[in-house]
Amino acid sequence: MTEIKVLFFATLRDRAGLREAQLELPEKTAVKELKLLLAERFPGISESLPTVLVAVNREFAFDADLVPDGAEVALFPPVSGGS
Amino acid sequence: MSEPYPTIFAITKDALDLDELVNRITLPTSGAACLFTGMVRGVTRRGDPHDTLYLEYEAYKPMAEEKMLQVADEIRERWPLVEGIAIVQRIGRLDPGTPTVLIACTAAHRDTGVFEAARYGIDRLKEIVPVWKKEVSPQGETWVEGDYHPNPGDIQTESPPGSPPGSPPA
Repeated sequence: MTEIKVLFFATLRDRAGLREAQLELPEKTAVKELKLLLAERFPGISESLPTVLVAVNREFAFDADLVPDGAEVALFPPVSGGS
Repeated sequence: MSEPYPTIFAITKDALDLDELVNRITLPTSGAACLFTGMVRGVTRRGDPHDTLYLEYEAYKPMAEEKMLQVADEIRERWPLVEGIAIVQRIGRLDPGTPTVLIACTAAHRDTGVFEAARYGIDRLKEIVPVWKKEVSPQGETWVEGDYHPNPGDIQTESPPGSPPGSPPA
């Protein structure tokens, strides 16, 4: 198993209902699977999944990327705009 | 060997001191600075007209600061005549009229790309630096979400050996 820390920001934090969670994952879990696991555990975030951004160890990560052991994962919406 | 050009990047809760930040990126060789600052707009007329009581900014600070440094590196790649760069975002509750963000670039002359560099800096910040704002208006609270989705090209790449970020060209 792999242990990770998950951080939620902005709308994701509001919808998850917390800032931070510890999670155990099967080895070689990809970002895409992680998002589904998180939506199961925190159903409030489901509606954010199509647009959520994911960072792994402070760098953007994409669906096929694997989540390494001990990772700090962050979920957040696109950066606030303005023009 | 000359000193590296100054690069300031920070997420802060403190008030932005625009003069002080520009001073810190002004070198003896600098003769031009281009500065962009954004402030909280109390009255919006464009699009959906409304009033704003205040904005509440938050950041994923460690990643945001790394990404600000990446924006500065990208500016230096594109406009090698830029000397100093400052990128600072204030977070917390900010009232109308308050500066929230500063991007400033200095160079020897104004025809060096400093205008474009500062413009690129603010546009890029709004793409890849994880900062969000919640708008509080008389009607309630709304998170303001952008629409940029980073792609693998937005990942920080290693600088080639021998050219650390912020060094003047040899």
